[in-house]
Amino acid sequence: MSGAGRISLGTLGGALAVLLLFSAVAPAQTAAPAGNDPKQAAWDGNRTIPAHLIPLRDENDELIVPTETNPLPYSARFTCGPCHDYATVAGGWHFGAMTAAKSGRPGEPWLWSDPKTGTILPLSYRKWPGSYDPPSLGLTAWDFTLLFGRHMPGGGPAEPSEDETLAHPEARWNVSGKAEVNCLACHNRSGRQDPSEWAKQVLRENMRWAATAAGGVGEVGGMASRLKETWDVADGPNLDDHEWAVVPSVKYRAADFDSKHRYFFDLDYQPSSDRCLACHSVSPVGEAQWNADADVHSAAGLKCADCHRNDLGHAMVRGYEGEAAETGNRSAASFTCRGCHLGESEDGERSVVPGRLGAPYPKHTGIPLVHFKRLSCTVCHSGPKPKEGFTRVRTSRANRLGVYGVATWSTDVPAVVEPVYKKDDNHKIGPHRLVWPAFWAKRSGPTLTPLLPEVVEAAAGDVFKPEERIAQALIALSQVMAEDEVPVVAAGKSVFAPNVDGGLDATERPGQDAGGPALWGIRKGPNVLPLVPDFDPAAADKDPAVETRFQEYLQALGTVAAAPGQPVIVVRKTLYRLVDGSLDMSEAPAGTPETGGPGWLAGGKVSPLASDFDLRTVAAKASTEHTLTEEQVGLVLGALAKTSAGSEFAYVSSGRVFELDKSGRLVSSSHAAAAPVTWPLAHDVRPAQQSLGWNGCTDCHSAASDFFFTKAKASGPLLTKDTGRLKAASFMGLGGLFQKFFGLSFIGRPAFKFVLAVCAAVVGSLLFLAGLLALGRLAGFLEKR
Amino acid sequence: MLFTIITVLALAAAVLGLAFHRFWTTRQEARSTILYVEIFKKFLAWFALRTIQMGRQASPAAWWKYVRSLSLWRRPLLERWLFICLYGSFLYLAASGFFFAVLIPRGLFGYPLMGHVMAGGLFAACLTVLVIFKGRDFVSVPKPVGLSLSLLDPRKMGITAARVKVAAFWLFVLAGFLLTLSALLPMLPLLRTPGQKFMFEFHRYSALLSLLGAMVFAALELFEAPRT
Repeated sequence: MSGAGRISLGTLGGALAVLLLFSAVAPAQTAAPAGNDPKQAAWDGNRTIPAHLIPLRDENDELIVPTETNPLPYSARFTCGPCHDYATVAGGWHFGAMTAAKSGRPGEPWLWSDPKTGTILPLSYRKWPGSYDPPSLGLTAWDFTLLFGRHMPGGGPAEPSEDETLAHPEARWNVSGKAEVNCLACHNRSGRQDPSEWAKQVLRENMRWAATAAGGVGEVGGMASRLKETWDVADGPNLDDHEWAVVPSVKYRAADFDSKHRYFFDLDYQPSSDRCLACHSVSPVGEAQWNADADVHSAAGLKCADCHRNDLGHAMVRGYEGEAAETGNRSAASFTCRGCHLGESEDGERSVVPGRLGAPYPKHTGIPLVHFKRLSCTVCHSGPKPKEGFTRVRTSRANRLGVYGVATWSTDVPAVVEPVYKKDDNHKIGPHRLVWPAFWAKRSGPTLTPLLPEVVEAAAGDVFKPEERIAQALIALSQVMAEDEVPVVAAGKSVFAPNVDGGLDATERPGQDAGGPALWGIRKGPNVLPLVPDFDPAAADKDPAVETRFQEYLQALGTVAAAPGQPVIVVRKTLYRLVDGSLDMSEAPAGTPETGGPGWLAGGKVSPLASDFDLRTVAAKASTEHTLTEEQVGLVLGALAKTSAGSEFAYVSSGRVFELDKSGRLVSSSHAAAAPVTWPLAHDVRPAQQSLGWNGCTDCHSAASDFFFTKAKASGPLLTKDTGRLKAASFMGLGGLFQKFFGLSFIGRPAFKFVLAVCAAVVGSLLFLAGLLALGRLAGFLEKR
Repeated sequence: MLFTIITVLALAAAVLGLAFHRFWTTRQEARSTILYVEIFKKFLAWFALRTIQMGRQASPAAWWKYVRSLSLWRRPLLERWLFICLYGSFLYLAASGFFFAVLIPRGLFGYPLMGHVMAGGLFAACLTVLVIFKGRDFVSVPKPVGLSLSLLDPRKMGITAARVKVAAFWLFVLAGFLLTLSALLPMLPLLRTPGQKFMFEFHRYSALLSLLGAMVFAALELFEAPRT
């Protein structure tokens, strides 16, 4: 090195030493209030947020140059992390379920809904009552992420520890990458933020790419789910396959980069409510969008994050009473209903900052004190008003709302109902959402341990597939139908047609045929014509077009996967089948049903196109939300018993536990595991005029009040009459009979008030007179007169 | 808690005061000395003895006999029922109210509360009738007073058992009026939460006042009766 170079290096070293010394002293001068707390270090006191024109960095902490070949997706850890300590953020409420020491008041569990096996399983890492811990059921972080990653904000299970990934090598984290905390999911102000894209990327196992795609930062193609488990991101594109196993790649939106490769993030400090509602929407089933009212706070211009605040640690204020004591975050007390509106802590002490964000002080005129002691504010103000049979709602996470695309993602099940008024641990009644669990379980003494759906499905064989089998036959037949024709099968009181999802749609079977024998037919306009018309195959004047169609039908049915035999059509005693591609007529084997129609020929015997079990099963469940019959449950329990001799199995549904008794009969009993799972609700808050009590005491206190006396049957996938019952008063810990009497007393309440008023007036007047008299005598006025 | 303490202290003071009045007016030994300490000792001995005696004599049959001996049963029909209703409702109101207020943290609730509300209505009605038809018997006729320092001398105030009884009656009526008012107002759409809180406490203390008035009145009425 030259002397000049050495001097330059020395100068540079000196400058660096001075810089380090300065930087060590400078924070003490300029950022003293922030101290060393990383959660407070980001804000200098100015109430604006800086423009986020920052370099994107990938998961290797390398600068992303959008014009380079095959750039990696940006990493929040290395892009956002330099200013906002990633580890601090990752411990927040939305990401820390697996490691949280305290989880506070129960929230909505993740509901694993699998209609085929009739599973509605509440899961939560937070060990809330009624929820199952995923690892205890054998669910890995990978499984959990694939199941629920659609509505997860990254981090947590989607970004498992190295221990977790090493413990489960079958998971594909090395291919998919980890879904880091997705800062943009909440803080992106850009309209390009697309939760649906996130959901799609997660299901494609493009975990490390999901945030880039969903945030609109770049366009992501390819599917990690199609790559071999040996693929690594360092391997780059798959040069052998440009069609199927295409490696995920990013095409960055170049217009949002400047010449220094800095990307402009359009960010909110406080997330907009839309970002929250992507995962936290709740709407009544059947309500029209234009008719739905927003929460009264939203209508007043508040954002979710105005109350549900957090520091960099992202420990959100959840806003329930008792949270401040549980978490040690004292300011949480001023963001409860009582804190904001009354300026009271949960103990009624006026020790919190009242009226934040302009919260009005409620009048509550004429409402007896006991209501404030025994009820949470949300009883009267939140959720739908009580009605007969409760209100069925759908939530984003339970019913997969807010994922838009060609396919319909949202589901009607699980059936979540509200408001169920229930007494909580603080002995206060509050409105809750409720869902009935349903799952297959292995019994060990009194304990029921849920089985994973795939375990049940493997044991059940074909028992869960009646719809699938019928749909396959109908879909096959639809290949040879005219445009205005739809192949259908009529069974029971319904007519079934195939739908685009490979399932069956049921419509009502026309009048006189309802409940008649099963019929394979063709729907043409309003009419259902038989698929196989009755004619004499031996007749000389038979219509030749019929046999042409038969040939088409048989060719179509031949495409059915896992067909139980060769497709045939029986007309009277004649058997039509394809032999070497040509239609062949022969005498039907002995024992062939005289009703004829399409069927399968196997082992010299003709069986119907769909078995009686299949038709019976789909007919029973038609136009209902039930996905299992008691017959199916009995068969599956029997099949499960064969998989593990000596073990007992059960099925939980509709508030009951179903098991086979010694004679093989399905019997039900009650069990704690079948009890409904509830969690408190707080939104939507209704306007004051829609609160309970606005119209008087009889809003709740009447002999027929929905608040106390509404009831509903337990719901579940099983079609059964043996269901649990839900009575409103039972959850409140209140006697229904007493509430009836108490409600009836309000009939005479106006008269009672009148009597009391008259009594008070008379006694008060006489007291006044007596007092005047005594005073007059005492003063000697009356004696003088 | 404050209400409980005040209630216990007030009731204890009332019982001891009435007992001392009984001791002072009926026992010779009460005036056998001028030393307060000696008087107090004698009172305590007498009080303990009477308590034990009453405890030994107390039985359902004795109580029933005592109740049957009350002059109440010899009154005219309507008057008899008026007092039965008044006494009955007042006893239930006091028993249920103070039991739950003092001993049950949750306060009055459930069926006892419904009974309390109904008994309250009956009590208010009976009290009104009582004041209309019997109030005139308790209108005292104090002499006109002159302005002098003797007004402050208790011995010259003319405090007699009869006057205290009259005062107790009107205290009872006043407390009944306040009880009625503090029950009625929270049921009307007038009071906000602080008003409701105030009325709740006001109702309780009115009830205590009512009970004290009733105790004094009943004690003087019953104790004085045999001598008249």
